[in-house]
Amino acid sequence: MTETDGYILIALFALPLGVALLLMLLPSRERSALMAITGLSSLVLFGLSVYIFARYDYTSTEQFQGVVAWTWLENVGFLGERGIQFKVGLDGIGSAMVLLTGIVILAGTWVSWKIQRRTKDFFILLYVLVGGVYGTFVMLDMFFFFLMYETSLLPMYLLIAVWGSTRKQYGAMKLMMMLLAASILIFTGIFAIFTEAGVGTFDMEVLYAAEYSTTMQKIFFPMIALGCGTLGGMFPFHSWSPDGHAAAPTAVSMLHAGVLMKVGAFGIIRLGIQVLPEGAVYWGPALITVGIVAALYGAISALQQTDMKLMSGFSSVSHMGYVFVGLGTMNVIGMTGAVLQMFAHGIMTALFFLLIGGIYDQAHNRDITNFSGMAKQMPLWAIFFIIGSLASLGLPGLSGFIAELHIFVGAFRSYPVVGGLAILTAAITTTYLIRMGAQVFFGELSPRWTGLKELTWMERAGATVLVLSILALGLWPAPWIDRIATTLAQTIPGVSL
Amino acid sequence: MPMDQAWLLIAVPAVTFVLVALLNPVLPRRGDLIVVLALASVVLMGLGIIADFTGYFRGGLFTPEGANVFGFDWINIGQGLFVIQFDTYVDGITVVMISVVSIVALMVAVYSMSYMHGEPRYGWYFALLSLFATAMLALVLSGNLLLLYFAWEGVGLASFLLIGFYWERQSAAEAAKKAFITTRIGDVGLLIGIVLLWRQAGTFNIQEIINFAEAGGFSNTYLTVAMLFLFAGAVGKSAQFPLHVWLPDAMEGPTPVSALIHAATMVVAGVYLVARMMPVFDLVPVARDYVLYTGLVTAVMAATQGLVTSDIKRVLAFSTVSQLGFMFVALGLGNVTAAMFHLFTHAFFKALLFLGSGSVIHATHHQEVDQLGGLRHKMPITTATFIIGSMALAGVIPLAGFWSKDEILHAAMTDGPLPVYLLLAGSAVLTAIYTTRLVLLTFFGEPKDHHAYEHAHESPALITGPLVILATLATVSGFVVFSSVGRMLGFPGGIGEVVFTHEPHAFVFDIVFAGTAVASALAGIGIGIAYWKGDAMRAVRARQWAPELHALLVNRYYLDDLYQAVIDRVVLGLGNVVALFDKRVVNESGVDGGAQTVSWFGMRLKFLQTGRIPNYALAMAVGVVVLAVMALQSA
Repeated sequence: MTETDGYILIALFALPLGVALLLMLLPSRERSALMAITGLSSLVLFGLSVYIFARYDYTSTEQFQGVVAWTWLENVGFLGERGIQFKVGLDGIGSAMVLLTGIVILAGTWVSWKIQRRTKDFFILLYVLVGGVYGTFVMLDMFFFFLMYETSLLPMYLLIAVWGSTRKQYGAMKLMMMLLAASILIFTGIFAIFTEAGVGTFDMEVLYAAEYSTTMQKIFFPMIALGCGTLGGMFPFHSWSPDGHAAAPTAVSMLHAGVLMKVGAFGIIRLGIQVLPEGAVYWGPALITVGIVAALYGAISALQQTDMKLMSGFSSVSHMGYVFVGLGTMNVIGMTGAVLQMFAHGIMTALFFLLIGGIYDQAHNRDITNFSGMAKQMPLWAIFFIIGSLASLGLPGLSGFIAELHIFVGAFRSYPVVGGLAILTAAITTTYLIRMGAQVFFGELSPRWTGLKELTWMERAGATVLVLSILALGLWPAPWIDRIATTLAQTIPGVSL
Repeated sequence: MPMDQAWLLIAVPAVTFVLVALLNPVLPRRGDLIVVLALASVVLMGLGIIADFTGYFRGGLFTPEGANVFGFDWINIGQGLFVIQFDTYVDGITVVMISVVSIVALMVAVYSMSYMHGEPRYGWYFALLSLFATAMLALVLSGNLLLLYFAWEGVGLASFLLIGFYWERQSAAEAAKKAFITTRIGDVGLLIGIVLLWRQAGTFNIQEIINFAEAGGFSNTYLTVAMLFLFAGAVGKSAQFPLHVWLPDAMEGPTPVSALIHAATMVVAGVYLVARMMPVFDLVPVARDYVLYTGLVTAVMAATQGLVTSDIKRVLAFSTVSQLGFMFVALGLGNVTAAMFHLFTHAFFKALLFLGSGSVIHATHHQEVDQLGGLRHKMPITTATFIIGSMALAGVIPLAGFWSKDEILHAAMTDGPLPVYLLLAGSAVLTAIYTTRLVLLTFFGEPKDHHAYEHAHESPALITGPLVILATLATVSGFVVFSSVGRMLGFPGGIGEVVFTHEPHAFVFDIVFAGTAVASALAGIGIGIAYWKGDAMRAVRARQWAPELHALLVNRYYLDDLYQAVIDRVVLGLGNVVALFDKRVVNESGVDGGAQTVSWFGMRLKFLQTGRIPNYALAMAVGVVVLAVMALQSA
């Protein structure tokens, strides 16, 4: 990657924020203009994300590429040289996350055109959220990282409370309170890192190179991990997630479970493991314990859910548990698996929410036990859903397997029992997904639903993009693995192979 | 065709699958001919590979060594730390599997052109057949355990989709679900086993793992545990006790699929896996004994269930489970040759029996033996081929099943403890009895449903053709045991010296032993004839003779009920408990409780803000006093 590509990194978050601004100026009744602007910008963002992913050069010894920086504040107050900079750059993990965001926003934009009420305002908030997400993935300054992180969270409240369903006020408030409380931990952690490094800068590259005492690392790593982990749906601070997802509108659920939860896990890597590796090693077993408990807990909770969205929400808790297991292994295989799982889960959960939205919008019902034989009425819907389920339960050839395999293997290297339990979780996942599939898609069509229509063309297009991504990662994972594994091996001191 | 192009066997059906799955609505005849042609080319290529392996074109220079053909790195982390290769491996075991899979798949595809004619989703059906062929061939050609697992799950998926092919039927939906979840439980074990082996050996390559194990790289306990986990996968896929419950229900799928997947190929994947890993199993006698007794229990148990089942396909399903048990017994005794030989012959005669039963179902629309009978007048070809298949299954000399079952019984006699032999020989007699019962009730005696009988007719050539070919194979395929036949085909020494080069196994024909086996098979047939004589009323009488025993067998030893109870009470119960815990404790007490606590304090504390000057003055005064006291104390 060259410096020019660095400006593309800036464009990744400047474009959605700019689109949000532009939409504010647009009269609400200009619906076709709105669709043109958002459609075009989602395509551009997708294209740029793919381009950035492809351009990231994993053979280079430089792990942060496309670095562009301007100093914003220096030598004032407690800030030293290069105090706060507007600095962007990308590593292999970030490149995978950028690609994920590009895919999910493409599909998410298409399905959101269905929204009839205050469509313009919805898109303004959605694009602010997307800008924040992209910004978090590319920022190399902790100040701006945190700024972008918060930017991606705040629109959630309105998006759920205004456009949501069921207990939307409750879900939105709970989500916001828990995530903001967690942000305080992150904020404290960032300042502890800043102070301990003692060089007066928030520049991540400088902070990565700085020395931190072991005690400090042991104290502050768990703060970062908890703070970011809450956004990642870490047990037992996950309870915002199923309720939040159940209440959120389709595209918000997609972006939220698909991308925002990954921002949480990404934060653990960026602020936690890469900066405080000793702390990460020390707390690794705890992270693994929390992760495996979450994986089992989420899966078992999902067994008896009848609301499709709640089931998917608990499934997310379970799958994100794998991410924490992978991160806690502190070896390259397991951690590569964690990042792969972030990507894989992001895609498939976005697919699930897209599809659940596709039925809920017409049927105003998403109770599993109320459906049967839907493969007859909505065959495409059923096929997409089954592919998503198979990916989720770890069928080889689809995205979930490749991620989970790495996590299993990584876990087995240090903790065989955890590895065994993680594989067992896959069997429980199979049980709830196949039970649901057999109930909803198979059997005789219930006459109540003969009026339902197949997915709209936009939903089909979005689901196709997501399914193709699932197949791409599942069948040819090398591009992802090369980028992720080299970055992990080179940027984290003390990580074992 | 040279062995290093074996990957084409996987690629051709894979491309066919994608093509037919996506384009079948616009393809001529929904793409069935494309699938048939692809599978025919697989048969030809398979023959080429076999010829290359046996050195047929190289002047018979037979070197029965396996060849690991390098593929490509699918995943490579840390320059060789974690590598998954997609490579192929061809040896005697592979060759047996290729011939079975390719021939039966082609027969089934041809048969299906008539059998499935006019069904909805006809093109999708053929797409699934090629998906299955892709995965199954990848499974047997794979040189490493991870690609094997990949294919293992692939055949499971194809099986799931085909069992649930008539998904509008609730029973088919249930059966597909049961099959997928049950085998998946075994697969968990398989994956754990694979990763455990990798953990020590650092490779997924099967030959490297074998070498590593033989060099003493694993501790004995570790290896035993790993191999038992690995075997769990075989137990699930090959429907062995206690995970055998899915296979009888899998008969909800279209009959040709039962012949291909649930009789001849996929269900023998477990046998293949254990045979493939036999050098490692040999190192851990405990694990090998476990294989032996699993096979024995299954063989006996399923044979008894075959006696009372009335659905023609389910009788055959129990028979398959039982025969797979025979193969595992052979493997447990370390006799790979006998197991693979029985796998080979069983594939042909069992596929024949299934396709024959399909022909009956096609003609009568009945599959309960209580409603059939007398069909020999109407369906001569089906009857004749079915009888050949049955006699091969019962073990009548000189049909194929005799030779292979004889090998297994002989191994049990010479290598195993006596009770193993006796139980196995006992279930061989039971096999002859239930097979005879099936033939008599279906084809002989008086028709029980006259309406169906009147309308019955012989099936068309696309159905009887494969039946005749398979009947021929069921007759002659046992002869490969002779070295003269082997020499004719390009490998001297017969099948015994091709399959498992670790322990070449010369064929011995013990006239007394073989005589006993034939006599017991004939005795079984005799008992069957004497008892049933094609009379359905006898079946009712059997029920009255020992109602408890009959109920036990008909209810499949109550295992299905037990599992259902465990799932309903324990697993789903646990799901309810955890979900309730999450709702009440984590959410309502923890999260909402936290919020309510804060709000409670807020409600109380807000009254401090009274807006009255005297209150604030009082508070300030108290503060001053406290500070003064503290200052005085420190001074």
